[in-house]
Amino acid sequence: MHIPDNYLSPSTCAALGAAVAPVWALSVKKVKKEITKAKMPLLGIGASFSFLMMMFNVPLPGGTTGHAVGGTLLAILLGPFSACISVSVALLIQALFFGDGGILSFGANCFNMAFVLPFVGYFVYKFIKDRVRTEKGEFIGIAVGSYIGINAAALCAAIEFGIQPLLFKDAAGHALYSPYPLSVSIPAMLIPHLLVAGVVEAVFTVAIFAFIKKVSPGTIYEGAKEKSKAIYGLLAALILMTPLGLLATGTAWGEWGADEIQEVVSNGQALGFIPQGMQNGFSFEAMMPDYSVGGIPEIAGYILSAVAGVALLLILFKIISSLKKANHSVHE
Amino acid sequence: MPEWLLKDENYQPLPDRDTFIDKSILSLLRILSRIRAQSGYTGGKHSVHAVYKVACTFLLIVLLSVSRNIWFLAAVGAYLLAALSLMSADRIIRVIKAGLIISFFSFLILLPAFLMGNRYSPVMIPLKTLATVTAVGILSHTTGWHAVTGALKSFFIPDIFIFVLDITIKYIVMLGELSLDLFYSLKLRSVGKNVEKYSSLSGIAGTMFLKSKEMAEDMYSAMECRGFTGSYRVRRRFRFTPADFLYIVVHILLITIFVYLG
Repeated sequence: MHIPDNYLSPSTCAALGAAVAPVWALSVKKVKKEITKAKMPLLGIGASFSFLMMMFNVPLPGGTTGHAVGGTLLAILLGPFSACISVSVALLIQALFFGDGGILSFGANCFNMAFVLPFVGYFVYKFIKDRVRTEKGEFIGIAVGSYIGINAAALCAAIEFGIQPLLFKDAAGHALYSPYPLSVSIPAMLIPHLLVAGVVEAVFTVAIFAFIKKVSPGTIYEGAKEKSKAIYGLLAALILMTPLGLLATGTAWGEWGADEIQEVVSNGQALGFIPQGMQNGFSFEAMMPDYSVGGIPEIAGYILSAVAGVALLLILFKIISSLKKANHSVHE
Repeated sequence: MPEWLLKDENYQPLPDRDTFIDKSILSLLRILSRIRAQSGYTGGKHSVHAVYKVACTFLLIVLLSVSRNIWFLAAVGAYLLAALSLMSADRIIRVIKAGLIISFFSFLILLPAFLMGNRYSPVMIPLKTLATVTAVGILSHTTGWHAVTGALKSFFIPDIFIFVLDITIKYIVMLGELSLDLFYSLKLRSVGKNVEKYSSLSGIAGTMFLKSKEMAEDMYSAMECRGFTGSYRVRRRFRFTPADFLYIVVHILLITIFVYLG
């Protein structure tokens, strides 16, 4: 579910980043209030826990393996606000040091996996747990919560992918970023998550929770009961705000509506006229006439290819000599 | 010598599948070796300051994402190749490998769109992805993570965030080693068929969590004993080496090409 760079437009990334920022601010505030100073290191250690959780390969039927995200588990163990910070930091390290998920799409990834996943998972769990007050109810709550949590996150990612071809096209009607519309992206993301990843997540979450509850029941986060109503309200508000945040890309909103209607009416024939409006909305698009024609002066081209050629030769030479060295030491 | 010791035994352990243990061990080892290799890197005499590197890499990624001109991509590609060629061979291989795998994967994803007649994104997105991942790879393979967190401080990122980030990287190593040991022992103890193996996985993760809570408490005590107040100070002299100058000039050139190509 880690969205790499260049699949989402920069403005979508910015909008999603802006949508997560208040959640981060609220989380830091909440965590400062809820967690004593003595427990502050737990945030970082929770982040490393969630990072390592993704390294755990779980056997799947058919001999393959998959991995869980563990967002709901962290939310249940540490509280949703701490989970939000921990997962965000884990995602940042993955993006910065391991190339897993993009730098620009960091906000989008945090929105899906550090906000939607733990919060939806946690509140579904809490909703069921507060109504079915038995141990079974608790476990059902965890299973359902983690299952719904990961699928909600996958749905958000699918929507983010799916709105790209509607919002961002070049003059010829070709998508500039992810080219698949909602009708493709939603099933492509949701079917594997509904069938496989969601089940893995639910089983893994329940199993770990059961283990911790048995071994050390005191360590599990106790959400404040009287506040739950306010939190439901907050969650509802945030969910309602989500599409607003997604579509807060300036002029694109109106054009998207027109574009969609146009597509429905004339079966995709009206592509020559809508992008004009989009060009006015985004100055950088107007600046670029055509990606394949706009060239550079011949001399600059020569210099560039010379630099690339020399660099390539150097790289080849270095790799070959390192391979030779490796061979040599093996023979010795 | 007792009788039973002299008896010939022929024990054939039943075959059992444990690929998930091997895979988990491998991915943990990969992470650990990666972080260790990076923390050992202090940068040579001619290394560019981490602040410039982080800022310029971010700028480059934004430009790449916005640009629709294949010539700009070619210019960035030439620069990235030149930067790569200054690195050591094993690092070059690792950076290129990561980039190629990810861009091939995105090419596969976009192949149906290409067949459906979209000639733009199936070509541009894998190339852009290759460039982006290579840029990030060069940054992370030439800069120690302590230098990166230090650079983040210069961008006015709150202390609590840097604090959490710092602890996280350190404890990925600590907890990673712990879970690695647990995986090894699970593997060693699973001779023949072991039906309990799958449930042990949750035990490993659960133990890791409990251990992390303990570690957090220990760490706070240690921090308090040493008088850590939670604020970070980056102590450094302002320096501007020829390498820094060259680095910034190259990036200004790239911006110029970006603007020129429109």
